[in-house]
Amino acid sequence: MFIDIQNMSFSYSNSPANAVEDFTLTINKGEIISILGRSGSGKSTILRLIAGLEMPKGGSFSLGDKTLFNNHIFVQPEKRGIGMVFQDYALFPHMSVQDNVLFGLPKMSRSNKLKRVEEVLELVELEGYEKRYPHQLSGGQQQRVALARAIAPQPELILLDEPFSNLDTELLVKIREDLRRILKKANITAIFVTHNQNDAHVLADRIVKIKDGVIDQVGRPCDLLGSSTDEKGDIELLPEKELVSV
Amino acid sequence: MNRRIANVNGWTIGAVLIITLLFVPNLSIVTGIFTPASENWGHIREFMLLNYIKSSLTLVFFTAIFTVAIGLSLAWLIAQYDFPLRNFMKWSLILPLSIPPFIGAYTYHGILNYTGIIQKTLRNHFDVSVNQAYFDIMNVPGAIFIYTIFLYPYVYMITRIFLSNQAASLVESARTLGKGPMEIFLKVIVPISRISVIGGVSLVILEVLNDYGVVKYFGIQTFSTAIFQTWFGLGDLDSSIKLAACLMGIVIFILVIEWILRGGKKYSFSSTKLRPLPLVKLTGKKAALATAYTLVIFTIAFLIPVLQLLDWVVLTFGKVPMEEVLTYTKNSIIVAGTAASLIIFFSLVIGNFSRITKHKFAKILPKLTVLGYSIPGAVIAVAVVTTFIAIDRYLAPVYLFLGLDSELVLSVSLVMLISAYIIRFFAIGYNSIESGYTKIGTDFRDASRMLGVSSLRTFFKIDIPMMKGAIISGFILTFVDILKEIPLTLILRPFNYDTLATKAFQYASDEKIMEASQASLLIVGVSAIAIFVFNKLLGEGRE
Amino acid sequence: MKKSIMLLLASLLLVLAACGNSTKQSSNAGENESQKKNEKSEVNLYTSRHYDVDNELYKKFEDKTGIKVNVIKGEADELIERIKREGTATKADLFLTADVGRLYRAKEQGLLQAVSSDILSKQIPEKFRDSDDMWVGLTKRARILVYNKDKVKPEELSTYEALTDDAWKGRVLVRSSESVYNQSLLASFIGIDGEEEAKEWAQGMVNNMARSPEGGDRDQAKAIAAGIGDVAIMNTYYLGQMLNSQEPEEVKVAEQLGIFFPNQDTTGTHVNISGAGVVKGSKNADNALKLLEFLTGEEAQFTFAEANYEYPVNQDVEPAELLKSWGEFKEQDIPLTVLGENNAKAIMIFNEVGWK
Repeated sequence: MFIDIQNMSFSYSNSPANAVEDFTLTINKGEIISILGRSGSGKSTILRLIAGLEMPKGGSFSLGDKTLFNNHIFVQPEKRGIGMVFQDYALFPHMSVQDNVLFGLPKMSRSNKLKRVEEVLELVELEGYEKRYPHQLSGGQQQRVALARAIAPQPELILLDEPFSNLDTELLVKIREDLRRILKKANITAIFVTHNQNDAHVLADRIVKIKDGVIDQVGRPCDLLGSSTDEKGDIELLPEKELVSV
Repeated sequence: MNRRIANVNGWTIGAVLIITLLFVPNLSIVTGIFTPASENWGHIREFMLLNYIKSSLTLVFFTAIFTVAIGLSLAWLIAQYDFPLRNFMKWSLILPLSIPPFIGAYTYHGILNYTGIIQKTLRNHFDVSVNQAYFDIMNVPGAIFIYTIFLYPYVYMITRIFLSNQAASLVESARTLGKGPMEIFLKVIVPISRISVIGGVSLVILEVLNDYGVVKYFGIQTFSTAIFQTWFGLGDLDSSIKLAACLMGIVIFILVIEWILRGGKKYSFSSTKLRPLPLVKLTGKKAALATAYTLVIFTIAFLIPVLQLLDWVVLTFGKVPMEEVLTYTKNSIIVAGTAASLIIFFSLVIGNFSRITKHKFAKILPKLTVLGYSIPGAVIAVAVVTTFIAIDRYLAPVYLFLGLDSELVLSVSLVMLISAYIIRFFAIGYNSIESGYTKIGTDFRDASRMLGVSSLRTFFKIDIPMMKGAIISGFILTFVDILKEIPLTLILRPFNYDTLATKAFQYASDEKIMEASQASLLIVGVSAIAIFVFNKLLGEGRE
Repeated sequence: MKKSIMLLLASLLLVLAACGNSTKQSSNAGENESQKKNEKSEVNLYTSRHYDVDNELYKKFEDKTGIKVNVIKGEADELIERIKREGTATKADLFLTADVGRLYRAKEQGLLQAVSSDILSKQIPEKFRDSDDMWVGLTKRARILVYNKDKVKPEELSTYEALTDDAWKGRVLVRSSESVYNQSLLASFIGIDGEEEAKEWAQGMVNNMARSPEGGDRDQAKAIAAGIGDVAIMNTYYLGQMLNSQEPEEVKVAEQLGIFFPNQDTTGTHVNISGAGVVKGSKNADNALKLLEFLTGEEAQFTFAEANYEYPVNQDVEPAELLKSWGEFKEQDIPLTVLGENNAKAIMIFNEVGWK
């Protein structure tokens, strides 16, 4: 198994109840997983736990042949080799597009770095935007820069937190397809969190439904959601913003 | 086990160390609460405490109200509107902070008293004698006036930065809902600025509680009078430390109230996209009114006192030794600059620790450092001297080994003075840095770490550049405050070491306000340049 | 960089944690060092006098003797506390202050050592030297009455005590009780008349005040000119400074005032001193003594008098012309130590009678 998560659980320090309980999941290389659930179901927390931004109460997690956490080990997020696209992208406002992408690249020659930036920007179809600053970009463009930035260091796994929540519908359809194309082309394993069934249906190879911090169902999109996308998915698209934890 | 250790990182160690160091000297004061009362205590309680607390609270209450009214209204005007002179006023309205309140008090009294410019002119040129009661500033309302005009910039500065950065979408949605400016101010601006206003006004309150210069000159008896009467007059330092500990208790009480007013939590904004508030251009009468209002405040709080000081500098020119002025100025800039930089650096470490550590004590621990700001400087000085002498005693073998021919090395060096500044003014720098951290939240940091960048590099590459505004304003506030600081500098400086503030005090304490004008004006000048330069930096960072 | 800073902090913390134990050790080491110290020619001064003229005198002393004068200025009680806490290790050699009460306090706390020399005995009258030779006076200031020449005839004035008569109701001006000059004035009355009468006087003064105390001595003089009150208590040298002010209006005010030395037929006008004592742990006691001899010598005494309008303690030196023009006067005849002894009592009385 490429990714092996066993019995991962988590609770916030201010509440005794587990926000995530016994989360167990294995993922193949190159697979795209969607974690689907209503807001407050604990799906974003699962993503943050995998990323290493929260410390789990118990369980284990390995990626390839590396153990990233178990009862004895906790690898800091920057050492995990996992990329992440944040819900509101978190593009560094004081850096240009190029600098944002450059920021995460490992040590190599400057010319190699620039080449890599060129590659990933081409992948997300943003050639020529190197010198722009985040606030000069549209929402869709920002999202693609965030994706390029996350892909650039060639992570073994990429996490996407509600990647489409800030996009308008027209843009959404295009970007959703682009994203799947890009991920598949680069053969990147991905986990993305969404509350929207359509997103999951179009993008995922497999869907994990979450309810109250516990896995409700796991399966292929067509098995779980039926063959066709219904309108319900889009209706559920509520503006969900979370208070950033302090 | 490794997992737990992984969580106790460098930030925690650094922060706990710094907090401990800042707190240790205060310990001797905290323990003062528990020392048994001396034979003077009964007298102090009966004749001093109650009345003095009453006048302290009167001063604090009204100063707080007026500084909020002026600070908030100015912040709103400058953040939201464009009118003639706005860009000049934007930073000039901070300038009154550069005038030490006791110098301001002497200056205003100098203007208004019998031999002052107003009465003199009326008497000699118009043969008008005025009722002295109208020109007497040396009373409680006068002190409130002095504190208000020289301290409102705390509220103004902190609130303005908040409003320009945070209020855009709220103000705009209020406008689309058809609300007028007054309604927006009362229903949107006031509630959302609450946190920064409280942050600013709590600094004002602490300044007022601790001030001794103004009340002593005006003959108003406050809590700090009681502390110094007990020490200097009754020669009973233990009781005065006990009083200082009581004051500390009051301050903690105020901090708890602040915390409750904030609803027990801090908000971080839900969006990482910060958008500056766009300016609304005022025209005609409204523009004139806005300009007039800011101009009046600026004139009263800065222009008039400075012109009077300038007049005195000319009057005493040649009477005051000039040759060493450059040295004093240099000394002032160096110690204030060093201490302010260290404060900001330490604040960044502690603030980051507090931000990234989920544990509750990480939020409470940094609050302890505010205690240094809650006690009169002279009392802290005693605590600091005690601590440094202890350190020197401990290091004596080292000094001997190094061939130094003295037992006291640190305690007769600038290290002691700078440490004392850090203990005293840490809260001011930290306030600013903390709000900076709150503003940027943790998303950018998380994003950076997810890109494989270490916590430390993230700190330098992401957090610090993004907090430029908070860092600069924190630096200005502490720098300017240290520049005008008196009691610590006076008692803790090394031999033959003078700063502008000690020079100004030397004359003012001997009722030679005219001779004090030169050094006072230089304090104002240095502060003004600092404020101007950093405001430029800040402005460019924003665009 | 972060690591090294943390190391530094960690080491400091260790220092703090362990500081209690090593006190004794180091003070032994200190004694060895103090012998080495004498070779250096310097003298370290802790002073609460903030006058420019003092600096000039130190410079003159340096030129004359080659002994470098190092200065820390601060409030007297803060300096006392610092010397106390520095203990035997202190760098202070000479403690200088503008109130005899503070000299008394330093002596009481065991911070001073006795010094004497023929020169000192010759230059300073016995009255202005401590009975145990722990301190000597440098300059005198008298606390006098000034009055509005238009409204008050000098014959109406007599003593400090008379100011509490009903005739002066609402006419007396005096600064707050936080002023050390007022404290020592009341302390002297406690010494002369006893606590009861002193308290009565303070109460009487409060009853007769033209306004609640505010401002400094100069402000009392101005209040007379402004017509707020008719008679004020102030120090001689403030009046001297006003008469020589750069602000012509202040000169005018001072010139309008009548000057009266109270209690000439009774106990004498209250006099306080500036003075100095050699610190117990002094490493340069010889140099400190030399500085004391210099400061009470004719040249320095003349400078004090001329530049600062203080009365010299050295009787061979004449006061400044201005002070001489006010005439000679009878001083309170009490040991100055009394002022120190009664200082705390004075404060309590002030508080009790509500003298702000």
